[in-house]
Amino acid sequence: MANAIQSATPSTRGAWLSKLVVTVLITAGVVLMIVPLLMTAYMSLFADGVVTFPPSGYTLSWYGRLAEFPKFGQSLGTSLRVAFTATLLSLLIGVPASIALVRYRFIGRGLLNVLLLSPLTVPGVVIGLGLYVLMVDIEIRSEIPLIGSDWVLVLAHLLITTPWVVRLCVANLVQLDRSIEEAAANLGAPPARVLWSVTLPMMRQGIVAAALFAFIVSFENIELTLFLISPGMITFPISVLQYLEYRFDPLVASVVVVQTAVIALLLLAIDRYVKLSKVV
Amino acid sequence: MSQDPYLRIEGLTKVYGATTAVDNVNLDVTRGEMLVLLGPSGCGKTTTLRLVAGFVAASHGRILLEGRDYAALPPYQREMGMVFQSYALFPHLTVAQNVTFGLRMRKLPKTEIDRRLEETLAMVKLTAMADRYPRQLSGGQQQRVALARALAIRPKVLLLDEPLSNLDANLRQSVAREIRQLQKAAGLTALMVTHDQDEAMTMADRLVLMSEGKVQQVGTQEELYEEPLNPFVARFIGHSNLVKGELVDSDSFRLPGGAVLKLANRYDARGPHILALRPERVRLSDDNGSAAPRGRVTVEDATYVGGHIDYLLAFPGGGHLELHEPTGAVGGTRRIPGETTGITWDGVNERLFDENNVAVSAAPALAA
Repeated sequence: MANAIQSATPSTRGAWLSKLVVTVLITAGVVLMIVPLLMTAYMSLFADGVVTFPPSGYTLSWYGRLAEFPKFGQSLGTSLRVAFTATLLSLLIGVPASIALVRYRFIGRGLLNVLLLSPLTVPGVVIGLGLYVLMVDIEIRSEIPLIGSDWVLVLAHLLITTPWVVRLCVANLVQLDRSIEEAAANLGAPPARVLWSVTLPMMRQGIVAAALFAFIVSFENIELTLFLISPGMITFPISVLQYLEYRFDPLVASVVVVQTAVIALLLLAIDRYVKLSKVV
Repeated sequence: MSQDPYLRIEGLTKVYGATTAVDNVNLDVTRGEMLVLLGPSGCGKTTTLRLVAGFVAASHGRILLEGRDYAALPPYQREMGMVFQSYALFPHLTVAQNVTFGLRMRKLPKTEIDRRLEETLAMVKLTAMADRYPRQLSGGQQQRVALARALAIRPKVLLLDEPLSNLDANLRQSVAREIRQLQKAAGLTALMVTHDQDEAMTMADRLVLMSEGKVQQVGTQEELYEEPLNPFVARFIGHSNLVKGELVDSDSFRLPGGAVLKLANRYDARGPHILALRPERVRLSDDNGSAAPRGRVTVEDATYVGGHIDYLLAFPGGGHLELHEPTGAVGGTRRIPGETTGITWDGVNERLFDENNVAVSAAPALAA
């Protein structure tokens, strides 16, 4: 007995220590992520017209003046619209592509794989500049105004959202038991039916995660978008950027808080259907 | 056989690049029979099953079911119900939806689907679980859902891929019996794959032992055990001592180390051969008996394992032999390591294989 107690003590101490280390690391991570958010929320309550510290007082009035933020409605609308469309289209491209990549062997498979992931390896500024030059060239030749249209933005965002969709769906697919699809075929389901009734439902978590990433990647994008907007049509992150070039008042902080809340609500809504902790 | 078999596999071959996974397999299965494909991993048994199911396209050969060639048909037109090793249940569907999947694919009327669902769930005793999802079931229950799903479509052939390997050891026997009962009751023709000899022995009407893509022997449990066609079968089914040596005389077998064994049968052949002796079919024999021992050995090790004593014996000049002596016999003497003793066996328990691993039959007994 005495031996057992003696030998138990060091291992208990070891377990306690490792638990402490884990707790400290997690706390540090959470703090790092949440402090900027809290700071922003805190600043949005400052009463002063220019952000100074410490503030002279606190007010909620900035939230009442959201409409004064230049192009608040237009830019948020554009961002949501573009992100939604880009997500939908990249799912339509990326989900079938990932199924093809994982489930079939065909000529050019390796090339397609590289092609679908390559935009992630090129800096967004470079893609943006390239697209801008291309669009201007097409505009000159065709006399169709392209810069500043939703569709050009959607097309550009597809370049960065599709690789995410493919990556997440491929990761999801490779861990699915292939014999489940074989079982469906064995029970009399033709290939299209297997895809629809078995493969796609089983990919649900991967598809939700992919949609989420695609949406966020599109919504928050600046560097690629910067080249493709026109004065009348900007996205939300760019409106914030432009605002900050001239002013630094709590209004911009309150705008960002509202935007964060919108995204958070969206995530909560999705979480009701698919547990996000499981997919990401 | 005057009549064509229900299922005939003819020259079935699958080549992957440089390797031949399944090499010219020929099998006949009669209606209602359970044929078990047995062999070590990588012997081609699973590929054979997958060829029959249609998941793998055959390089050559035919799969004739009631005379019709199925080899070119896609899996969804084959009407074969498969039970997968991983069960492969649809995780997003309930037990009832899993079981009726094949029926819905066949667009059966709803009343018929409901009737068969009820009937099949009752068969596997899962009626109470109809609305559960697979993840809410135990391994044994999942296995029964997989079985029910395959049975519900009333398959022409039931295919079982290692159906017991994912179950707890204590569940295996009862599930094996259950599967066998259902298969017999439904009069189903079944093809099962396993690497487990005991499982194969309990479940099969006939066994197919495979190795390196080839069928080594087809037959009943008794045929494979008593009359193995080659040393591989002799060693794989049960266990056999394989002793290499040379036939120097019609009944003298000389080991490389010089020891000479007196064989129980007479042979016309001469030269290098392999002698196969089952440990439980060799007896210790004292010199004072009426018959002289067939060979002399030294006891190297003796282990009491319950039902028998495991002896490891050494021939003078080299070579080992395992011998199982049943315990509980009255008057038996325990041998101790270091002791020398005689061994003997009966003619029916002696198998001799030539250099090409082909069984050599004994010369007709002379009046002696």
